[in-house]
Amino acid sequence: MELKEQLKAQIIEQLNLEDLTTADIKNDAPLFGDEGLGLDSIDALEFIVLLDSEYSIKIDDPSLAREIFYSIDSMADFIESNK
Amino acid sequence: MYYIHKVASITHQNSFLQNDINALLVEITEGSVLFAPDYKKYVLPSSLRRLSPILRMAVAVAKECQEAINTPFEAISIGTALGCLTDTEKFLNVVNTVEGDILSPTSFIQSTHNTISGLISLELKNHSYNMTHTQNNISFEMALIDSILCCDEGKSFVLLGAADEGIEFLNKLKPIVISKDAFVTSGATFFALSKIKSNAEIGIVACQAKLNKVSIDSEINSFLGNLQIDSAAIDIVYSNCLTEHFPSEKMIHYEKFSGLYFTSNAFGVHMAHDWLIEQSKKYALVVNSSCEGGIGLILLRNDKAQD
Repeated sequence: MELKEQLKAQIIEQLNLEDLTTADIKNDAPLFGDEGLGLDSIDALEFIVLLDSEYSIKIDDPSLAREIFYSIDSMADFIESNK
Repeated sequence: MYYIHKVASITHQNSFLQNDINALLVEITEGSVLFAPDYKKYVLPSSLRRLSPILRMAVAVAKECQEAINTPFEAISIGTALGCLTDTEKFLNVVNTVEGDILSPTSFIQSTHNTISGLISLELKNHSYNMTHTQNNISFEMALIDSILCCDEGKSFVLLGAADEGIEFLNKLKPIVISKDAFVTSGATFFALSKIKSNAEIGIVACQAKLNKVSIDSEINSFLGNLQIDSAAIDIVYSNCLTEHFPSEKMIHYEKFSGLYFTSNAFGVHMAHDWLIEQSKKYALVVNSSCEGGIGLILLRNDKAQD
């Protein structure tokens, strides 16, 4: 499975987004805030756990989290560059 | 007297928002499931996705109680014996199996017993006195006694609740720790309680609870004796244990209908409440006892009924 589709499926599973499918999540749409999926700070912590458990990637600088977790595109880019 | 202005239950019976639950009760059998309402009416989907069954049940019944009294509760008192078991189990499984060294925050945050009352506080936007009581099979009685004290202190309306959830592991544990035929279930029963009577008919006269092992019959004797009420005046007894104190025709074994969870006696109180209204009788006693000790007695009275 392509990384971005895999990420979407993992996010739906991890965050229990019962009503969404991978097709509902656009690659460039913001994940947080009212404009996107409406995720919140607890979900950001879940993302940190997801990157660690599924991709063995740790975020050393928490101030970068907002940028990394902006969208599926930005998360995939971060994973690709830190593999 | 502490009047019941609203009672709402989500259980393995069709009990939610029914006027007379006793007319709808069927005996619980193996594999029975929770009668869950559409929770999206009570919680935003963005919050609902995180909530385990016990939290969903508790918020829904709490909101029904809040809507009924139309004024903010001045205290929230919740009894739960085992708390948020689904999240506790999920968190412990993650601890055992996680690859990497970071643990998922949601199940950890929501695995504590007081998540229930805390979430209700947030959902009702109610920042008043908020307490969780966990005391094995008499957790509900402890929450009720706290509610009574709150009412006596002058708080007008108190949200009193009981909730526990069953998980598969309890079915494995049950034969080892309890010799009862009842099936493990889940349930939440909440009450809007007040010393103000207004339109309420049924109230709680008194509650007594003891954690140590005592004789059921002598406890009933002293409880009713202190209230100066003769045993013969009790019209119905909802009980989860055997007692020869009352004739068998007056006894109803409530665990046949609630299933087995530590705070199921709150559902027994709901049954007793509806029975007193439907039958226009005066007194109902709810008897709750476990084999390991811990006995709770709750007396209800119907103000409309004649002696």
